[in-house]
Amino acid sequence: MTDEITTPPTLTGVPVPAPPASYEEATARLEAIIRRLDSGDAGLRETLELCAEGRTLVEYCAAELDAVGQGLQELRLDELVARLEAGTS
Amino acid sequence: MEPVAAARPDGIRGSSLPGPFPVGAYARKLQAELRKRARLQLVGEVFNVRRSRTKMYFELRDSDGAVPCSMWCNDFDKAGLVDGAFVDGAQIVAAGGPDYYPGSAASSPSFSFAVTALRIAGEGDLLAQIERLRRRLAAEGLLEVQRALHRPLLPHTIGVVTGEGGKARDDVLAGLARRGWQGRVVWAFAPVQDRHAAPRIARALQDLAATGEIQVIVVARGGGSLADLMAFCDETLCRTVALLPVPVISSVGHHTDHTLIDDVAAIACSTPTHAAEAAVPLHCGDARVAVRADAVRLATHGRRAVVERARTLERMARAPAEHVARHRRRLHQWLRELRAAAARGQGHRRQDVARAAVVLSRKAVAGAGADAAGQRAHVAALGSALTAHDPDRIVQRGYAVVDDGAGAVITSAADARRAQRVRLFFADASVGAAIDGDPAPRGQA
Repeated sequence: MTDEITTPPTLTGVPVPAPPASYEEATARLEAIIRRLDSGDAGLRETLELCAEGRTLVEYCAAELDAVGQGLQELRLDELVARLEAGTS
Repeated sequence: MEPVAAARPDGIRGSSLPGPFPVGAYARKLQAELRKRARLQLVGEVFNVRRSRTKMYFELRDSDGAVPCSMWCNDFDKAGLVDGAFVDGAQIVAAGGPDYYPGSAASSPSFSFAVTALRIAGEGDLLAQIERLRRRLAAEGLLEVQRALHRPLLPHTIGVVTGEGGKARDDVLAGLARRGWQGRVVWAFAPVQDRHAAPRIARALQDLAATGEIQVIVVARGGGSLADLMAFCDETLCRTVALLPVPVISSVGHHTDHTLIDDVAAIACSTPTHAAEAAVPLHCGDARVAVRADAVRLATHGRRAVVERARTLERMARAPAEHVARHRRRLHQWLRELRAAAARGQGHRRQDVARAAVVLSRKAVAGAGADAAGQRAHVAALGSALTAHDPDRIVQRGYAVVDDGAGAVITSAADARRAQRVRLFFADASVGAAIDGDPAPRGQA
């Protein structure tokens, strides 16, 4: 029996897109979404789906930026190695 | 000769060595001793060339050791070297001998190999060696590997290889602060010159990459001579950088310096500050503003879409009722038009009949002559009179017609007495009658 992760369908029947692999991927997709919405060519259904996807991307980007906004953390390499070996990081 | 001891302090307690002697005298003696040594020629590589108003200073090195050298500028100029030949790494032959400058109360002493003549050796130029190595690495494709690595726009952990006490460390932190970046910095301190540097830097790089937590590495050291920077031309170190799975950003020396690590690294920067900025290409403050703006635009689009959808649904809900109402109005309209048309039609027919009657009567009148109407009336009157006078009609009504027998109708009693004998015509037959002279019974005339 395979241990598959399946994305649950949304109410509209369209599968939820996979989470972005990186910050740049997220911003690129976000720009594309906003360009599409600004163009006015998107129908009502598409607009709502794009807005939902866009919100997810915004949350991801905000979280990434928060992760590097809480104060500079400095440590030495040997400390990092010790933490990793201890199972904490 | 024994130095003259002026006011001598006591020696160190417990020392069996002679003295203390005045240092200046000793210095002069040293100078004299060194000057006695044989003059000879040395071969080695030039490093750290400096020139004062009167003298040239440089080091002559090879892998086993080195001597500091000095040379009068006049003598150096007489050597007639080509411009740019006397640089770090140039292999030369230098003639001269050891000397000691004794210094004074106000100036420092120094040992040097006093060079009186020199020439460029040509072969084995260090820079040429570096160039040959660069070409070899390029031929193996090692100058492109790091450049092809994906560099994250927003790393959360940055590794830094640098000297512990150097200014480069502060410059890196300043560069990160300029980007508004406050992630995690992992410091891997290592010597950044001398013969231990290359293997220690290589080891630090591999250890950083092996943690799996580092997304980009900065290798930084400040300015120095080519000799000081030589570690960053080491072949093993450069191969390690080229094949490292984590992108490396180098900032070694000043912007005019160029070491081999700059060729194999993903990016080469002129200062550690720039290297830090290259490690975080995004300005975090600007990025936060942009993301917030995107969120607002999405929300606006979303709201507009929802409102529009609501309006569409509302329109669709109203539509059937409106549809029916429209039809009803149309039917009423048709009905009115039909009735109006029908009414107009009947009126037309009546008019037509009346018109026809008029036409006909006119025609009839025209056909009958001028006084047709009068004549007709007269005839009609005559007809009526005739009818009234028709005896049959009288008789039919039960009366009798009285006749004198000669055919003359008797209409009065007098005529009847005169006639004496009359005939009475009834409906069925006639009878003769004689008139007697009796007066009429009462009530009758």
